Amino acid sequence: MVTQAKALMQRFVQRRAKKGAGQDYATSHWKLMYRELKRHKLARISLYILGFFYLVALLGGFIAPQGLESYSGEYMNSAPTKVRMVDANGKFHIQPFVYGLKSERDPETLRKRFVEDPEQVFPVKLFVHGSDYSFLGLFKTDIHLFGVDEPGRIFLFGTDSMGRDMFSRVVLGSQVSLTLPLVGVSISFLLGLLIGGISGYAGGRVDAIIQRFIDIVRSFPTLPLWMALAAAIPPRVGVVEMFFYITIIMAFIEWTGLARVVRSKFISLRSEDYVTAAKIAGVSDLRIIFAHLVPGFISYLVVAATLAIPGMIIGETAMSFLGLGIRSPATSWGVLMQEAQQIENVALYPWKLIPLLFVITTVLAFNFLGDGLRDAADPYSHGNGAKSAKRKGKRKWVSLRSKKKQLEV
Amino acid sequence: MWGEKFRMAKKWVLCFMVVLMAASLLAACTSNNTGSNGNKGNKGANTEQSPSPAATVKAEIAPEAPMLAELVKAGTLKPVEERMPVKEDIMIEPVFEEIGQYGGEWNFPWNGPDDKWGISMATEEAMFRFKEDGTSVEPNVAKGYDVNADATEYKIYLRQGMKWSDGVPFTADDVIFYWEHMLIPETFGKALYDCYYSVDPVTGEKARAEIVKVDDYTVKVTFKHPSVLFLERLAIDNKWFFAPAHYYKTILPEFIGEEAALAKAKEYGFEDLKNFGIWTGYYYWLYPQRPTLRAWVAKNDMNSDRFIMERNPYYFKTDSEGQQLPYMDRIVLTKMQDKSHKLLETMAGHVEVGSFDFTDYTVLKENEAKGNYRVIPWSTPNWSSTGVQLNQTTEDPKLRALFQDIRFREALSLAADRKEISEIITNGLGEASQASIQKGLPNYQEGWSNQWAAYDTDGAAKLLDEIGLKWDAAHKYRTFADGSDLTLTIYREDPSDNEKFIELIRKYYEGVGLKTDVKIVDQGSFFDLKYANKIPVTVKTVSVLNVAFRPDELVPLRVITPWFGHYGLYTSSQGKEGVKPEGDVAKILEDWDKLKASKTKEEVQKWTDDIIKLHQKNQWVIGYTAPTPGLVVARNDVRNVPSLIASDETRYIGHAHPAQFFIKK
Amino acid sequence: MLRYMLRRTLIMVPVTLFVSMIVFIIIQLPPGDFVSGYAAKMATSGEIMDEQAMALLRESYGLDKPWYVQYFTWMIGILTEGDFGYSLSYNRPVSDIIGQYMGITIIVSLVSMVFTYVVAIPIGILSAVKQYSFFDYLATGFGFLGMATPNFLLAIILMFISFQWWGDPMLGLFSAEFTDAPWNLAKWMDLFKHMIIPVIVIGTSNTCELIRVMRGQMLDEMTKPHILTARAKGLPEWRILLKYSARAAINPIVSTIGWSLTTIFTGSTITAIVLNLPTQGPVMHKALLSQDMYLAGSWLLLMAVFTLLGTLISDILLAWLDPRIRMTRKGT
Repeated sequence: MVTQAKALMQRFVQRRAKKGAGQDYATSHWKLMYRELKRHKLARISLYILGFFYLVALLGGFIAPQGLESYSGEYMNSAPTKVRMVDANGKFHIQPFVYGLKSERDPETLRKRFVEDPEQVFPVKLFVHGSDYSFLGLFKTDIHLFGVDEPGRIFLFGTDSMGRDMFSRVVLGSQVSLTLPLVGVSISFLLGLLIGGISGYAGGRVDAIIQRFIDIVRSFPTLPLWMALAAAIPPRVGVVEMFFYITIIMAFIEWTGLARVVRSKFISLRSEDYVTAAKIAGVSDLRIIFAHLVPGFISYLVVAATLAIPGMIIGETAMSFLGLGIRSPATSWGVLMQEAQQIENVALYPWKLIPLLFVITTVLAFNFLGDGLRDAADPYSHGNGAKSAKRKGKRKWVSLRSKKKQLEV
Repeated sequence: MWGEKFRMAKKWVLCFMVVLMAASLLAACTSNNTGSNGNKGNKGANTEQSPSPAATVKAEIAPEAPMLAELVKAGTLKPVEERMPVKEDIMIEPVFEEIGQYGGEWNFPWNGPDDKWGISMATEEAMFRFKEDGTSVEPNVAKGYDVNADATEYKIYLRQGMKWSDGVPFTADDVIFYWEHMLIPETFGKALYDCYYSVDPVTGEKARAEIVKVDDYTVKVTFKHPSVLFLERLAIDNKWFFAPAHYYKTILPEFIGEEAALAKAKEYGFEDLKNFGIWTGYYYWLYPQRPTLRAWVAKNDMNSDRFIMERNPYYFKTDSEGQQLPYMDRIVLTKMQDKSHKLLETMAGHVEVGSFDFTDYTVLKENEAKGNYRVIPWSTPNWSSTGVQLNQTTEDPKLRALFQDIRFREALSLAADRKEISEIITNGLGEASQASIQKGLPNYQEGWSNQWAAYDTDGAAKLLDEIGLKWDAAHKYRTFADGSDLTLTIYREDPSDNEKFIELIRKYYEGVGLKTDVKIVDQGSFFDLKYANKIPVTVKTVSVLNVAFRPDELVPLRVITPWFGHYGLYTSSQGKEGVKPEGDVAKILEDWDKLKASKTKEEVQKWTDDIIKLHQKNQWVIGYTAPTPGLVVARNDVRNVPSLIASDETRYIGHAHPAQFFIKK
Repeated sequence: MLRYMLRRTLIMVPVTLFVSMIVFIIIQLPPGDFVSGYAAKMATSGEIMDEQAMALLRESYGLDKPWYVQYFTWMIGILTEGDFGYSLSYNRPVSDIIGQYMGITIIVSLVSMVFTYVVAIPIGILSAVKQYSFFDYLATGFGFLGMATPNFLLAIILMFISFQWWGDPMLGLFSAEFTDAPWNLAKWMDLFKHMIIPVIVIGTSNTCELIRVMRGQMLDEMTKPHILTARAKGLPEWRILLKYSARAAINPIVSTIGWSLTTIFTGSTITAIVLNLPTQGPVMHKALLSQDMYLAGSWLLLMAVFTLLGTLISDILLAWLDPRIRMTRKGT
């Protein structure tokens, strides 16, 4: 799924750009777009960040030192472990290390308190043995990127109320939270393209009916829909199925916006001369759509899709807040945030808010990337003329973005 | 702030007037006050409270709250001694720490009318209430009682001159009215309570009690067969064994006709008579129109953001100094949509007294100084803090046979690391233990808490082998002997606090090869599923103060507790539906019938012991960690908040008699 | 134009009816019904309802009838008498409950909306004028931050900060002593204090979007020929910006106000739950959870109508403000 994600964003951008190198006139649009995107500093940085996140998600089991069910009564609610380079005697170590942790309960409040024991030194090692996981779904292994020897512990982001490593949960949770919106957007992308396309290309009565249908879906309050659909999810579902259901729910809410964009694009393009020419030449409708119309605005759609992703990430967290969707021990960022929002955690264990930073970063990155792509999608606009195209585009963004409101419940 | 100051100023003026009056009126008046001044800190209060105009008339009067004194002065309220029962019938409520001061509001977070029981318990006035230790009852609204030797005739005496909160006298007629016009015709949609039936020791047939009025202040309850536990069961089943006849005669269709009653219902917002009957008859404390005997009575619409209950000027209790209770003027119920709001408000010191689950212990304790409150642990009659119940009548015959196998239950008990559960779920407070009766509670059994309480996965595996459970091809999960799939589906009610425990227990069960699914359903569906016998495994503990008083969780009398599933339906439908109890479950039911027909309390004790021993032997309810306390949080200036036992039978916070809570200035 | 409006309005009627029916089905889609949920809730507080009592309740609420009977009774009530039915959990007519929360909901929504516009439009203009400057990045970043943080978490964090620093979590909209007090300056101040967190939480989730739109529009407008002419004529820069660019740039924002209609009347749900606001959202959420279907249904119906109305208004506004769209409409 992750590779799919990369593809979505970059298939059109990079591959074609490399191939063309200025000779192929048809690809120069993508090339220009790429060049433009490179100039957009924030978008470029965002792309790198997202790439990194997706890589981490892909290698989740390898990077996370623990699995999702590594409960520990001993190390619950522990603050992030301090990784040190300098020991108690002021000696510098090349290899970072952590001290051993001693835990005790405050007899008064029963809160766990952790004391570092400078006597016990555990160097942080690479490629250590830990819990079993399946590497990329290919083979089973227990090698993890980093870790410390028993009985040492390393909790980069602290632990949760059941003693699980928050860092591992953030990493493994990203597998759900980063792929879910991509799959969701893909589904709504397809739906939007198909339905919007039919609507725009056919026009007339078909268009009117589809538009009313979209009105109905749009006027549908998301909250009860979520609740009803969540209740309809059968009893015995694994994480993957649950993931799939949620994705469908999200996509169902999201596709109308894209359909509207597609439709308006179709309407404006179908009267272009080259389409008329194709029609006269006897080219089939399907071929006209896919060979001539779709390429004409695919870049807009990529942008639209990119901008729809953050809404889905936020939507997933909102669903978790309402108790719908994925449940622990399966983890997503939404689950982590739902746990973090308990007063106890905000008050006593603030490190449980760390996942929030990742949500914010991801949402920002997708937004900046989308912005960059949008500017880039209209490479000619930076010249002197041809402002009108951009203006038209902008207006569509207005409508597209307003759609996001529905997700915020 | 300003309002506060202004009130204070007014109080001082009042005080000053009192002193003037007292000086001009000779010693008699003050002798009463000096007598009550033994307790320091109380001085101001007492001098304030004596000043009703009545004080000028009579010397030894019960003091009252300033807000009432003002009304009396304005002539809108009768003097306090005319509002309360005759002197010797006034109930004197012992205070827990010290004699209190009048005034202040009790901010009581609630979740709106759905939370009606929370506020009900805090303000309930039962005919008979549980004593402090929860083992027996004492008269409350009743002044006393007499019972004949074979426990077939109870005479209940009421308090002379006692009044409803609207000032109308409360008499035996109100009891008889309740019995005849509300209980028997099921006006509020509840079948007649079990406590009103006696059981024929021979045939087991149930006979309804007869209730008659002896005089204005005495009613007589007559049973066909002995009913030794009548008062205790009355204190649980039907605490409010009375209703204001004069009020119901203005709303019940029986008295005013269908049409007028429907018009009344519309006035209250209802659309039909049934719901009107249920709400005004059963949830009566929420209606300002409905007079009650409680210390605080409803003042406005329960759906408003602040539902207010104000002191009842006719309340029948005083403290030992003769001050009419309650001390606090008002209970203000503020709607809080989420549990966290109550927690935050309490931490901010905005809540005078509140109850919490143990899960909030650490965060409450850590903020104790900042919020200026104290956390008071209350013990509970729970058998454990974490428990699992296997439905003995579950639908799948293979699963049912497995659940009924005592070795399987033992295996499940041995499969879990109680130490870790204790650390993670109970913060280490609830020790590793089997579900059992806690020391100090009735029917305590020595050594029970250690039964199957070790962490022994090998032992569990051996037991599972013995039962004949095989392994699947991958040697990951166990299957039934015939190789078919074996899955334990734990149903979890949502919302609930068991989330973490289920996660853990699932891990342990899977650890011994038992495939475990978790199905989350909302409360309503859970309820439906329970009735439909569709819940095989659930996470729930047992909480019983005394099985004789409330058998619901241990004796399958109706569908209610998950472990006995449709055995309960069999009993309640008299064998028409459900699953016929066999073996030890059938024995429990026999014991129960004998208990009901007992002639003496000793006999009752014997049968309860028998029932409990059967539970000990079978361990239908598996527990992992010892119970954790319930929490009551009281702001530091709120006094007289004790630490008692928290149970439904004793009405949680109501057991602490909130009328004597006060805010110390 | 008039014909277009009329046609759109007329077509709304069947759409609304259709939506209302689906809404009604969806509410009852989850297993169980109001009575079982109610009985379960009572069971947790020790009250035991047996099957007989439940059957009695079902009968009195008409829940024993099939959904379409319930639906048509409800619909006919709405159409003939304007009676939205009866709330099972409140035991009161639905219109009473909607009325009770409407005032506060509209106030909160409007204030948050005004906040959004007042903050977003100037920032949008400024960051367009100073494109790619530090201020531009800061404003954009801030805007996005509000959007990127899930509302419920932002709300709880702000609430906790308020508790930590001022000892009061600022729950609800009034302090205890002001809830029933008559309106005076102190009460207004109290309300104002309590509005800060909700307005920030609800407001910031939308400012980002507005800032971006405003900025984009401004960038477009600022390079238009008539602006260049004005500049060449020597008009003061601020005047050019405000009088010509900003005015034109604000058009699409104004025209999309229609879409906020639903939000104004329903308010936000999650934020309101977290902050304990006495607005429509939490009431609706609870109604949905407990399957109080006439209450929930009426609400969803209203929401749907507002959404449709909002779209209609926006379309009309758009057409009215921008003659080019009007022309194309005629064409199609």
